[in-house]
Amino acid sequence: MTVPVTWQDVAALLPEFFLVVWASALLLLDVFWIREKRTTAWLSALGFVVALVLAVGQMGRAPLLAFRGMVIADAFSVFLVALFALSGLVGILLAQDYLARNGIERGEFYVLLMFSVVGMMLMARVADLVMIFLALELFSLPLYVMTGFARPRADSEEAALKYFLLGAFASGFMAFGIALVYGATSTTSLPHMVDVIQAGEADLALLTAGAALVLTGLGFKIATVPFHMWTPDVYHGAPSPVSGFMAATAKMAGFAALLRLFVLVFPVVADLTPVLWALAALSMVLGNVAAIAQRNIKRLLAYSSIAHAGYMLSAAVAFADPHLGPQAVAAILFYLVAYVLATFGAWGVVILLERRIGQEGLLLEDYAGLSRQYPGLAAAMAVFMLSFIGVPPTLGFFGKFYLFRVVLDAGFVGLALIGVLTSLVSAYYYLRVVMLMYMKPGEPIVRREPRVQATVLAAAALTLFLGLTAASSLYAWATEAILRFG
Amino acid sequence: MVAYWIFALVSLLMVLAALVAVTNRNLVRATMGLVLVLFGNAVLFVLLEAYFLAVAQVIIYIGAIAILIVFAIMLTRHVGDAWGPAFHRAWAWAVVVAGGLAVGLLFWIAHWPAADGKAKSPVDPQYTKLLGKALVAPDGYVIPFEVASALLLAALIGAIYVAWGGRRVKGPYPQRSEEKEA
Amino acid sequence: MSGILEFVTHPLNAVTFFPLVGVVAILLLAREKETLIRWVALGTSLITFVISLGVLGLFNPQDPGLQLVYDRPWFTVAGWTIRYVMGVDGLSILLLLLTTLLTPIAILSTWTAIQERVKEFMIFFLLLEIGMVGVFLALDLFLFYIFWEFTLVPMYFLIGMWGGPRRMYAAIKFFLYTMAGSILMLLAIVWLGLHYGTFSVPDILAQGPVMGPVQYWLFLAFAAAFAIKVPMWPLHSWLPDAHVEAPTAGSVILAGVLLKMGTYGFLRFNMSLFPDAAKYYAPWVALLAVIGIVYGAIVSFPQRDVKKLVAYSSVSHLGFVMLGLFAFTPQGIEGAILQMINHGISTGALFLIVGMIYERRHTRDLDAFGGLWKVMPVYAVLSLITALSSMGLPGLNGFVGEFNILLGALGSRVLGSYWFAGFAALGVILAAVYMLTMYQKVFLGPLDKEENKCLQDLNWREVVTLLPLIVLMFWIGLYPKPFFALMHPAVEHLLQAVLK
Repeated sequence: MTVPVTWQDVAALLPEFFLVVWASALLLLDVFWIREKRTTAWLSALGFVVALVLAVGQMGRAPLLAFRGMVIADAFSVFLVALFALSGLVGILLAQDYLARNGIERGEFYVLLMFSVVGMMLMARVADLVMIFLALELFSLPLYVMTGFARPRADSEEAALKYFLLGAFASGFMAFGIALVYGATSTTSLPHMVDVIQAGEADLALLTAGAALVLTGLGFKIATVPFHMWTPDVYHGAPSPVSGFMAATAKMAGFAALLRLFVLVFPVVADLTPVLWALAALSMVLGNVAAIAQRNIKRLLAYSSIAHAGYMLSAAVAFADPHLGPQAVAAILFYLVAYVLATFGAWGVVILLERRIGQEGLLLEDYAGLSRQYPGLAAAMAVFMLSFIGVPPTLGFFGKFYLFRVVLDAGFVGLALIGVLTSLVSAYYYLRVVMLMYMKPGEPIVRREPRVQATVLAAAALTLFLGLTAASSLYAWATEAILRFG
Repeated sequence: MVAYWIFALVSLLMVLAALVAVTNRNLVRATMGLVLVLFGNAVLFVLLEAYFLAVAQVIIYIGAIAILIVFAIMLTRHVGDAWGPAFHRAWAWAVVVAGGLAVGLLFWIAHWPAADGKAKSPVDPQYTKLLGKALVAPDGYVIPFEVASALLLAALIGAIYVAWGGRRVKGPYPQRSEEKEA
Repeated sequence: MSGILEFVTHPLNAVTFFPLVGVVAILLLAREKETLIRWVALGTSLITFVISLGVLGLFNPQDPGLQLVYDRPWFTVAGWTIRYVMGVDGLSILLLLLTTLLTPIAILSTWTAIQERVKEFMIFFLLLEIGMVGVFLALDLFLFYIFWEFTLVPMYFLIGMWGGPRRMYAAIKFFLYTMAGSILMLLAIVWLGLHYGTFSVPDILAQGPVMGPVQYWLFLAFAAAFAIKVPMWPLHSWLPDAHVEAPTAGSVILAGVLLKMGTYGFLRFNMSLFPDAAKYYAPWVALLAVIGIVYGAIVSFPQRDVKKLVAYSSVSHLGFVMLGLFAFTPQGIEGAILQMINHGISTGALFLIVGMIYERRHTRDLDAFGGLWKVMPVYAVLSLITALSSMGLPGLNGFVGEFNILLGALGSRVLGSYWFAGFAALGVILAAVYMLTMYQKVFLGPLDKEENKCLQDLNWREVVTLLPLIVLMFWIGLYPKPFFALMHPAVEHLLQAVLK
């Protein structure tokens, strides 16, 4: 009666399995054998490298539902899982020196980070409502703790508490929404749900309400207006590497589940299109306008991340169109790559300039004169800022181009106009950072941390050159990463 | 017939215990009343042949939550002290709301088509076994189960880190001596 | 590998991307080796100029269509093949030459003026050249947009890092103004891509220009980008700030080339892609152009800062160009193209002249000078020629362009009124007034300021910087035929398509 676990099942989740085992082993090793925390960091980085290799190994396979349709390994999830593995690696590279110099380096950090990444990977793999909830919690819980990792510091604790409370709130919405969706379709399995909806057996009103609540829950995770209130405080209070990691990956994870649900399962609830429209527009406007007033670079990046969530969401507004859905997915994935690169890079620079945790070196003025003493670093930061604005030939330009293409194709001219006009607004504050670095005299103090520096420079090089040389292959990859259920 | 008597007895006990829980001025005693209510609930589940829920009820509500409450009380107050008034200022309102809720519930249950006193679709005696199997079967919920355990592990680590009070340093962290501000 | 070789050996790619060689070379040099860096930059830009002369050699003036076209699929995005299309025709060949000529001249002018962060300066300057040349050669809208936006970045840095006291304000104003227009153009480009399935302008035109009511919106979206760049009145307010604060070389390139990107955009894209809308809006554009001509001239007059004066005169001169373009007559358009070149030459030279005196006196206030004729005779003569050229004296280049534009506007059936030309002629007179007043204040009169008495006349480098421009002023003024011959078939071709 019972079916044994097949190799196929395991193969579908190989990177995740490996990371969980590796993280658990590392936890024990860290307690009993490893003397230097640095070793733990290197071992967890190694774990991510292996996970990346395993994820790359999954590429090009036919979509595969595993574990009785709980999870799926399709091109979309493989794309994101690879990206998550890479992000985990970058997260560790950014964090290690920072934690050490601030005296909060503990093995638990790396283990938590690995668990969090596993949760994010599962967000990309979900094929069942139960899994969405569990994956969401698995990636969120470690983030709460990591936010509070600089524990006795009040702003870090405050950030953790805020994030936790609002996150728990969001989980509540999510659970409620999942329950309603289940009620509307009497199944938790997403592929089955598609059949039920297509057969017209679903209760549409209930499904719409459920989808709206799920959107709320995910909206918290990707920080769209009006579910963004926690973002500036949390990004500001959390240790910078955690903020950077969160800004890049939590958004990816949220979008992974959002796209899978809305593009693949919920096109029928087209009633939500205006809601998504409004969320996207509000995020772009509010995020960018609020960012102008910021003097702290961490808060500035927090608001900018809200705005970028809005840009990505504006392509997702077209979810209900069966023809545009896949294009929206590709455009958003592409934009995510551009966004993640620039985000990691910019936060890397923040980490290098932050002198004491949460205190000195975080104001915009502290960037004055950077280009004279550290031309490479300043140039990298300028590249990230230009990519955020969307100036050619950076990757961010191509990202915005594809996004606006989908938005226009779907006929949302107003949304596209809001998008470009807010890009203009964003140019103002991003350029202010550039201006300070290049045009104002100053004596910035920068740490010599080769790992972080190398990460920053690599991100800058990729942002600059991927656009011109590999935009098409990247986009082709993203296009092939179409959501599938078999 | 025995079941009816047990049901009546347990229900009566639960109502009394609930009264203790809300009226007693001693918090520990009130908690014990709550535990009794929760335990009665578990017995009711047994009567309904929902053995798994009964066990889960005992483990989660009595084993974890009630203990947590006791811990919280013992950590924050003098144990066993009677403290504060038993009745809130707005107790009358509470009675109205609770009474309204009770009437509503009764009304709803009375009109529920299933409430005709006859047992519907007797539970499979293998129910718990099936549930257990489903949780760990590859064609069941093994992956959510495993993810939940990973989640709990992560939560455990996090909780330990957050709660661990070994080092309370005021002010900024000491800088490492070999650190160069280059 | 052979693909790369094939790419770089195409003359248009070579002329566009050769400055990249200089950029890489300078990147590898130590920042202390400033003289070497200057020589590398100058050498690179000179070789680029030579390559552009080679392009001219390969160019067939009789051919009205696009030449030396390099058309390859660049990348594919969900059904869209974005092509890499470069080409040159009579509309762009002169602007290409102007760009490659002005760049080494501007670099030469910085020899002593730029002492700080020479390495970065030269890198940004060469990057700017890539962008500018690319704008004039790109024929795929997507590619064009990339070059177009890309020019913003180096110019932003040039103004912001080496500019005057209010450089940061000016730099960000420049960036935001220009970007405001170009993002609207981006949306229009995306719309065209969705509609036609391609961005390649020749391919779009092969399918026929845009018809229907939407073309009026698209025209406006493109026009927003170009009108700000030109700049047309009333969108000009970034220009005086940018010019005043920019370093001399930046001003030269800004006035000489960047503004032409706007007029060129109108010529290349607005007119041919949306011919009906272009004709519909022509009187309005001409009206704004004439307002700009008169306004620019009037506002120039009371300026005390020479750079500001020249900046406002640019608004006036570019108004002529716009008027000529939207007259939709061969004379008007040819005059406009020639006037683009003229303005690049004369205004570029004017900014060089201002820069030379600024380097000596560190002020640009008109009242600080007077009687310079006596101490700097060479300088005074060259300045006189330039000023006369700028105000359109017969025998010098400005006259040829403006005369043709006025004739074209007079004979224009699309504009349908003499008044445009009439008021524009007023601008010519006003130009004489402010230019001569400026000249008089600086060079004539008594040499009464102590600081001016020991000023050095121009050295050989400065003369060499100005000389090519002076020669061109006379050449175009006396024998403009070869220049017209280059553009005439292409203009006829364009008008045929537009007026059809």
